[in-house]
Amino acid sequence: MMPFDIAYNTLVVAAGVAAVGFAAGVVGGLCVLRKRALVGDAAAHATLVGVACAFLITGRRDLPMLLVGALLSAFAGLGVLVLLRRFTRTRDDAATAIVIGVSFGLGIALVSGIPAWGYPDSAGLEQFLLGHTAAITARDALLLTGVACGALAIVALICKEAALVAFDAAFAAAAGWPVALIDYLLVALVATMVVVGLPAVGAVLVTALVVIPPTAARFWTDRVGPMLLLGGAIGLVAALAGVVVSAARPGLATGPLVVLAAAVVFLVSFFAAPSRGWIARRMQQARLSRTWNLAADSSPGPASGGPDC
Amino acid sequence: MSVGGTGPRAPAPAPIIDFHDVTVAYGRRPVIWNVDLEIDAACLFGIIGPNGAGKSTLLKAALGLVPLVGGRVRFFGQPLGKVRSRVGYVPQRETVDWDFPVNVMDVVLMGTYGRLGWFRRPGSRERLLARESLDRVGLADLASRQIGRLSGGQQQRVFLARALAQQADVYLLDEPMAGVDVRSQEGIFRVLAELRAEGRLVVVVHHDLRTAAEWFDRVALVDMRLVAAGPAAAVLTPDNLRRTYAGHIDVLEELGQAVAKRGRTP
Repeated sequence: MMPFDIAYNTLVVAAGVAAVGFAAGVVGGLCVLRKRALVGDAAAHATLVGVACAFLITGRRDLPMLLVGALLSAFAGLGVLVLLRRFTRTRDDAATAIVIGVSFGLGIALVSGIPAWGYPDSAGLEQFLLGHTAAITARDALLLTGVACGALAIVALICKEAALVAFDAAFAAAAGWPVALIDYLLVALVATMVVVGLPAVGAVLVTALVVIPPTAARFWTDRVGPMLLLGGAIGLVAALAGVVVSAARPGLATGPLVVLAAAVVFLVSFFAAPSRGWIARRMQQARLSRTWNLAADSSPGPASGGPDC
Repeated sequence: MSVGGTGPRAPAPAPIIDFHDVTVAYGRRPVIWNVDLEIDAACLFGIIGPNGAGKSTLLKAALGLVPLVGGRVRFFGQPLGKVRSRVGYVPQRETVDWDFPVNVMDVVLMGTYGRLGWFRRPGSRERLLARESLDRVGLADLASRQIGRLSGGQQQRVFLARALAQQADVYLLDEPMAGVDVRSQEGIFRVLAELRAEGRLVVVVHHDLRTAAEWFDRVALVDMRLVAAGPAAAVLTPDNLRRTYAGHIDVLEELGQAVAKRGRTP
């Protein structure tokens, strides 16, 4: 391969992963607002089974087919989650943990077993665990970009409805909105983002790309729209940072780097954001108690010494 | 039990709300039993009863938010699905996360979503309507404030403004006066009285006996079953109250005060 081709491939892959990071941050924002942050985790851990099954059926390591398998098994995992909740009265958190554990165990068993069963061309399936951008071709990256853009288009369409349901589901239902349908649509979007994030970030960590960016974005803004966009931007930056660093240091898997980059943004947001950040709140509290103390000093009568904070 | 009846069987218009033999259960535990209640005139209607009497459940059943085990509810003689845009709802304040990233205007605009339908965004007409609604509840100057930075009374008035923006003919409010300062209570009550004056029906789930007789034209006393319904003065009798609150020792004191007060002012 010519150096030019390598550069072209790297650029397209970087762009594709960046698009996925952006869309994951935006979709994740709606999911976090609906307080369903763990849904993505369940979906992500269920994807490995589908990857392995798709490989067993097609016998090739063709990314689009593997991702179709991943999406189907993610939906299957979420379906089991719904059934567990409805028919066994298992609590939400326990049901999620069961789906994560069992589906991941099955996925690992298959992915690690397949090479031992002597399938040719099976090396590299385990890269879906932690993500590996070097294995993505330009054609695959275009597919990822396309799916990410599709997800963004759907969010742009249903943002109003999803935000309404996330804020006040009872009011939405009383006004006639199909709350369950909107929830399923949101879950399907999250599952899709998890699946297209799989090649770059891996099944274990991809949920972080859905949860951390919007949570970090929330520190900077009090509006849904800006929060979604900023979450997308943070996801994009984290994804790019992961791709660039892992390309420079071939030993490092991309997934952990992406998550660490997002975590750095989260920490900075947590401390430095105006008004909601830790430092700003501390300073505001100090100002408040100073005013109170001044008021207490200057006012006659029983000095209470201000509030005890 | 019919409230505000319109005489013999003329071609009477359908009641505004018609609960017919409504039964609701959470799991195997019944919460509402065989409630028959017709409300056929625009008024301020209070649903009164002790804690756990199923007052809120009755509203939720009417709105289709909890499944009915038996019976049916009609609005204007039709199932809710056909007349949703004529029914406004104010849920209990504690049911939402007030740290949600929206401002006051955003919440009030949600009242216009029903008429907007899928995919369409609120435009200048909706913003104008939301502004008017905010104005009516006295919060026009807080339109761009984050909802977490409001007092309880202000939050409740935001919910009321959102319902006003629904431009409904019937309003169902779940404990709008709970945990609300006196000034907000009066403001809310004034708006509800305005709605009645405009010919709308306002149904309020309310737990405070002391204010019930003063605020509501008609009331229903509920304790899992419907105990009594009709004009407030006729229904809020010592006997009915005792039947409703039997076994609720904590309110006997309150009950005594309410009865004594009513005794002084015939």
